[in-house]
Amino acid sequence: MSYFNKLYAFLFLPAVVFLYNIVPKKIRPIILLIISYIFFFMYSKKLVIFIIISSLSIYWAGRGMRKLNDKRDEKLKQVEKEEKKAIKEKYRTYKKVILILTVLFNFSFLFFFKYLGFFTSIVNKISSLINVSCHFKIVEHVAPIGISFYTLQAISYLVDVYHDKIEAEKKMFKVMLYLTFFPTLVEGPITRYAEVNQSIYEGKTVTYDHFCYGYQRILWGFFKKMVIADRLNVFVKTVFSCYMDYSGLTLCVGAVFYTILLYMEFSGTMDVVIGSAEMFDISLPENFRQPFFSKNISEFWSRWHITLGLWFKDYIFYPVSLSKPVKKITGVIKKIAGMRVSSLVMGGIALACVWFLNGLWHGAGWKYLFFGFYHFTLILMGDIFEPAIVWLCSKFHINRQGKSYTIFRIIKTSILVFIGELFFRAPGLAAGFKMVKRILTNFHFYGFFDEIAFLGMDITDYIIIGLALLVVLVVSIYREKKISVRDKIKEKLIALRWCIYYALIFTILIFGAYGTGYEPVAPIYADF
Amino acid sequence: MKQMMRNLLKSILFMTILLVLMIVVTLFLMPIDSVRKYGFVNASNYEILSEKENTIDAIAVGDSLIYSGISPMEIWKEFGFTVFDCATQGQLIRESYRQIEMAFKNQKPKVVFLEANVIYRDAKNKPWYYDYQQLIKRYVPFSNYHNNWKKLISSLEHHNANFSKVNVYKGYRYVNNTKSGKLKNYMKYTTKKASIPEENKIYFDKIVELCKKNQVRLVVISTPSMVVWNYKKHNGIVALTESYGIEYIDLNIDNALNINWKKESRDEGDHLNYLGAKKMSHFIGTYLQEHHLAVDHREDEAYASWHHAYAVYEENLE
Repeated sequence: MSYFNKLYAFLFLPAVVFLYNIVPKKIRPIILLIISYIFFFMYSKKLVIFIIISSLSIYWAGRGMRKLNDKRDEKLKQVEKEEKKAIKEKYRTYKKVILILTVLFNFSFLFFFKYLGFFTSIVNKISSLINVSCHFKIVEHVAPIGISFYTLQAISYLVDVYHDKIEAEKKMFKVMLYLTFFPTLVEGPITRYAEVNQSIYEGKTVTYDHFCYGYQRILWGFFKKMVIADRLNVFVKTVFSCYMDYSGLTLCVGAVFYTILLYMEFSGTMDVVIGSAEMFDISLPENFRQPFFSKNISEFWSRWHITLGLWFKDYIFYPVSLSKPVKKITGVIKKIAGMRVSSLVMGGIALACVWFLNGLWHGAGWKYLFFGFYHFTLILMGDIFEPAIVWLCSKFHINRQGKSYTIFRIIKTSILVFIGELFFRAPGLAAGFKMVKRILTNFHFYGFFDEIAFLGMDITDYIIIGLALLVVLVVSIYREKKISVRDKIKEKLIALRWCIYYALIFTILIFGAYGTGYEPVAPIYADF
Repeated sequence: MKQMMRNLLKSILFMTILLVLMIVVTLFLMPIDSVRKYGFVNASNYEILSEKENTIDAIAVGDSLIYSGISPMEIWKEFGFTVFDCATQGQLIRESYRQIEMAFKNQKPKVVFLEANVIYRDAKNKPWYYDYQQLIKRYVPFSNYHNNWKKLISSLEHHNANFSKVNVYKGYRYVNNTKSGKLKNYMKYTTKKASIPEENKIYFDKIVELCKKNQVRLVVISTPSMVVWNYKKHNGIVALTESYGIEYIDLNIDNALNINWKKESRDEGDHLNYLGAKKMSHFIGTYLQEHHLAVDHREDEAYASWHHAYAVYEENLE
């Protein structure tokens, strides 16, 4: 059941809220767990076993580490100061073994379902290149829903327990609920145990205010997805599937439209997800923070899919940059080339790992790896050339904080994002390059309107998209200024408030792109 | 408690206003024509309503086997008879009943062809909410009309807008792909009988009664299909139709139409493609001719629109 299915919003969710509210407070988290498993089962049927295994594995690993901590603490009390270090080191090694084994165990599922086919094809290609007669059959498996999301959550739980940032959970169902909580199951956000454990298990009564607040956020998500993303879908699908039939200009528009579609679909889903959790007074982390106001790619990625970026930062970037081999290398470079170069190298190595894994996380394919490499290069180049740009700006008396320069930077960043998304959506890496080539060699305005006239949208569709994007822009400006639009609306008189809600509902009902002639966008991130 | 009551009242008021607004907006967006009373759930289900009154010689009801297998325009071209496919994807027999009932309001066909496959399709296999969904779509048809705002903008005279589009294919859905099917176990002889769901038996009875009441011949027909049809099902239909004294034609027996499964199926033997449909359409035309169930209308001025439809149909053929 998709989050945009009418059944989800108007039957499933109210029914769950009702059930949740009528049972005693203590049982509420268990109700959430049962509902979450039913939700998972509706998507992935018997593959539910894998999320159970993952949950159990991290629960037992966490318990194991906790027991080791207790044992260690007991021993530390009994020994002299000199021996303490050795004992700490010994138990740290035990915990590390548990951590590594459990992480590998969980990653093995992810590898099996998502990457086995891709890596088998690479092995086959290499063996044919070096004339070795070994050819493995490429087997693709249907993955359990949300495996990329819940595996990362599982890893974060384990690592945080290992570093004693959180205490390992005593109750098994709590760990199970953390991984399967139904609103976050399909497309995230990737939560941390520490940030949700209190609200998710508290079992607070659903209040009228929370119920209304949740639905407001859900409606906003429906607006973004159904009015904008779904309307653009036919255009995007046609352009990307028959890219050789279109001029460079149309391909550019296709790339821009796809980026808008992706943003509206993913952020719209997050609105539904966060709104669903809000109903239960569970606060989930935001995944987007006006990404198209970013002034550089680095900032863009701190505003787009925030929870994934933070995950990579905490569990890949820092561990890699602080690892012994990297420290050793950068130590040598520091002596030879100085502090700046050494910190660039350190950041570069960690960034390369982050973006390699980020690309791979998005999908098993060369285009995704290229997508990661593209952003890695842009961020690294940004870091390398930053002093030169600062120097140039001061030389030509350009105010770096000025409005025009800021707008220029925002536009430049957006263009770079559009190019990245073109490769991301292209049918393959080679197709992505062909599209870029066509943009560069076949860019003309002649016949543009004739071309787009047959791409599933008429003038009224463009008007609707334009107006809807304007609304999104206004809301984004408010949010950028840290003004809550919902709170603003709440301050208004009830008549005006209701008029706004009715307007939103009827905009979705009338101008939503559903029914005959439209094809709703399938949940894009659910496939990752 | 007081606050709770206040919130409850507020919610009821909000929903009531929403409902009233929905009704008002629906009235603005709803098409004003004969299709309206049927809820316009899916325009293609009601296209027969756009046909001129009493101009159809025969209708064929059923699922995708019918709309892939019978091309009325081919019959028109060869025989000058008017046939209409009242077929919808995955049609249930109760929907077939409603299709016939609806067709009889405007048309007086001589014969109804009922695709035997719908007699076996169990409504229980549909999602649990299927009936409710259909009901909502029928009585709260907002979701089906919402896109009419475009017509409102363009003409601002929506009451004159003609929403009932005449279908030049007369219900047929043209597909000319070829995906050959394998003949393994196709119509392997057996004496076993497939069982028919109880609800379907009731609706079959209702269809028989409805045709009798309107003095229309009912013919149960099995379109050639290697995927959905088998001898067990054949035997079940033979027993059912014999108990009613109704004619049953199984075009799968001995490959009656001489279908070349390598070339005349669009999806590995499940449905016929255009080449297969030409053969089946020829069979239907011949049947109507031999049983004197239709006359050639090609010279009749009242049927001029069928000539126009044929011209468009022919142009659209690849």
